[in-house]
Amino acid sequence: MNGLRVRAVRLGKYFLCAIAIVAFTVPAVHAQKPLKIGFSMALTGPLAQAGKGALLAMQIWAKDVNDGGGLLGRPVELVYYDDQTKGANVPLIYAKLLDIDKVDFIVSGYGTNITAPAMPLVIDREMVFISLFATAVNQHFNYPYYFQIMPAGPNPVVDWSAGFFEVAARQNPKPKTVALLAADAEFAQNAVDGARENALKHGFEIVYDQSYQMGIPDFTPIVRAIKARKPDIVYVMSYPPGSVGFVRAAKEVRLEPKIIGGSMVGLQYTSIQMNLGPTLNGIFNYWFWAPEPTLNFPGIEAFLKKYQAEAPKQNLDPLGYYLPPFAYAYLQVLQQAIEATKSTDQKTVGEYIRQAEFETVVGKVKFGPNGEWARSRMLFVQLQGIESHEMVEFTKPGKMRVIYPEKFRSGELIYPFPGWQ
Amino acid sequence: MKKAALLILAVTVISGGLLLTAYIENQYFYFSTYIVLQYIILATAWNILGGYTGYVNFGTGAYFGLGAYTAGYLITNFNLPLPWLIVAGGTSSAVLGLAIGYLTLRLKGVYFSIATLAMSIVIATLIINTPALGGAKGMYILRPKEVSFFSNYMELLFATMVIIAVFTVALAWFIENSWFGRGLAAIRDDEVAAACNGVPVLRLKVLSATTSGALMGIAGAPYPYYISYMEPLSTISLDMAVNSLAMPLIGGTGSWIGPVLGAILLSTTQQVATVTISSEYNLLIVGILLVGFVILAPNGLVGLFQSLLKRRTD
Repeated sequence: MNGLRVRAVRLGKYFLCAIAIVAFTVPAVHAQKPLKIGFSMALTGPLAQAGKGALLAMQIWAKDVNDGGGLLGRPVELVYYDDQTKGANVPLIYAKLLDIDKVDFIVSGYGTNITAPAMPLVIDREMVFISLFATAVNQHFNYPYYFQIMPAGPNPVVDWSAGFFEVAARQNPKPKTVALLAADAEFAQNAVDGARENALKHGFEIVYDQSYQMGIPDFTPIVRAIKARKPDIVYVMSYPPGSVGFVRAAKEVRLEPKIIGGSMVGLQYTSIQMNLGPTLNGIFNYWFWAPEPTLNFPGIEAFLKKYQAEAPKQNLDPLGYYLPPFAYAYLQVLQQAIEATKSTDQKTVGEYIRQAEFETVVGKVKFGPNGEWARSRMLFVQLQGIESHEMVEFTKPGKMRVIYPEKFRSGELIYPFPGWQ
Repeated sequence: MKKAALLILAVTVISGGLLLTAYIENQYFYFSTYIVLQYIILATAWNILGGYTGYVNFGTGAYFGLGAYTAGYLITNFNLPLPWLIVAGGTSSAVLGLAIGYLTLRLKGVYFSIATLAMSIVIATLIINTPALGGAKGMYILRPKEVSFFSNYMELLFATMVIIAVFTVALAWFIENSWFGRGLAAIRDDEVAAACNGVPVLRLKVLSATTSGALMGIAGAPYPYYISYMEPLSTISLDMAVNSLAMPLIGGTGSWIGPVLGAILLSTTQQVATVTISSEYNLLIVGILLVGFVILAPNGLVGLFQSLLKRRTD
């Protein structure tokens, strides 16, 4: 009986020790005050589909970090509000994040017109601010702690299309004339300025240079006008509905220059790829990531696996190659900077981001003095060998051949454009 | 006596607004109140043509946008101070109101409304094709680093909007209680009868459109400093037209207080929804409130209060 009591007391002691160990080690993360990261995101409005995809990627990042013990031993918490894709909502949201929610860090929502309105408050509070796909915002503010995750390069307007024209100039026989077509909206108008500069730099003659109004239902007259000028290269800067409209019209009118493509946003979206299928073959366009062996960065596969498991449930882009990896990556940059400096001080973290290089799911990222990528890593891919409209078609390597830059090249450009299929 | 009471109220509101900047440091307060004040001005301005005169205007975005772009141009090219921006923004939109009013106020009912909607598209297209205004690429506006009397620029913008809002509401009250307002009411009730009784119909309608446009332009003038980046499609938006129409309808179009109440209610609700619901549902709010008020209180909040008061006295 006495022995039993001794054993019970001993067991009790072990039990209490075990509880103490658990209490002081494992749940330490959850006992800490959360590290809050605030942002606005387009969850409604024209960019909602992309914004929701970005949010999912950010939530995956938060879960990954928390599963790994948090940041500086603190669990991370995302605090976000729907900006409705309206810039007018942005100053208000960031004021709430900073003054009411008291977040530790802020990052931007999606796009230029969502990022720029936050800048005065960001500068006023001297916050680190990493933005998601904003074009050349810091050219106007020159703020030292602004960083931008889109790999457009130090001079985004010009660097954006540099690779396209460099590849075009290398072809034999060298194309001579260029037609430029741009939507009359922010990104496309910035891009066309750069395209113009790059075309002239490589000695191409611009034979057509026009803008089209957003939302036009039929591109046929425009495509006919381009065809009449017989350009060797057609460089188009369009948004998703315009990209689809242009490709369909070009196929119908048989506009078949030596190179066709450029900066058509939307061709990277799975739904549009499935919609256009083999029609995409031969198009030479900018890209951010593709399932090519040369782009197999550490962590990208694991991230996409998690994203692709969740995306169909939320009716999002099922493959998520365009924006989501970068939405994950810009938080990785912040995470690595906080971990390296062991600090939440904005200046310390900001200075670290300015000089360090980061290993992310979209590759190695280093920022230049203006907060853009120190060197452009705009990819130009040619769509090749697409045989059907099935989604699986776009998950295989060899369908989006990286032609530029050389470091990530995974195929050769089929030149001249083989014609519409 | 009533005039004196309103004057005291106006002075109190302005002094109160200025005093708040000395005590409240929370920037969220200034950002959110700025939007409410902006809508008080826009709704009151809309009501001068839409409520008093009975001409439904869908062109609020164009007047507001023109005021904002005029100010943006003057900031980036001449760095003019805020008061000059307000004068310039108001003047440019007044000229637009005068021109559009003269051209379109012979149209009636839905035809006039369609013309104002078309005007918004024309102004947006003009800006898209004007490189001096940033075109489709947009225009960046940097706030001055130094600001006198206030601890930051947002407080100055808030104080400016308080003064403009009080001025706008006072002007609406004055119009409502003057020969001008009575003429507009006569036009609203029966244009032909008003003309037969010697009311200078076209002149009053054009004056009403000019005043309404000028006030909307004034509301737009400080906006470049608020937003820092303007591009035509979001600055000249239909949302603004719908909101500035819905607010007087919810508050009541017959009196100066109606648009103020409607703007406070709707704008505050929208802002609370933005940072609480944070989903598609917040876009439903305007619609639900509008439908609800049209069914339950067709004369707006003011009409509802008046009928309740009447029932009690009866």
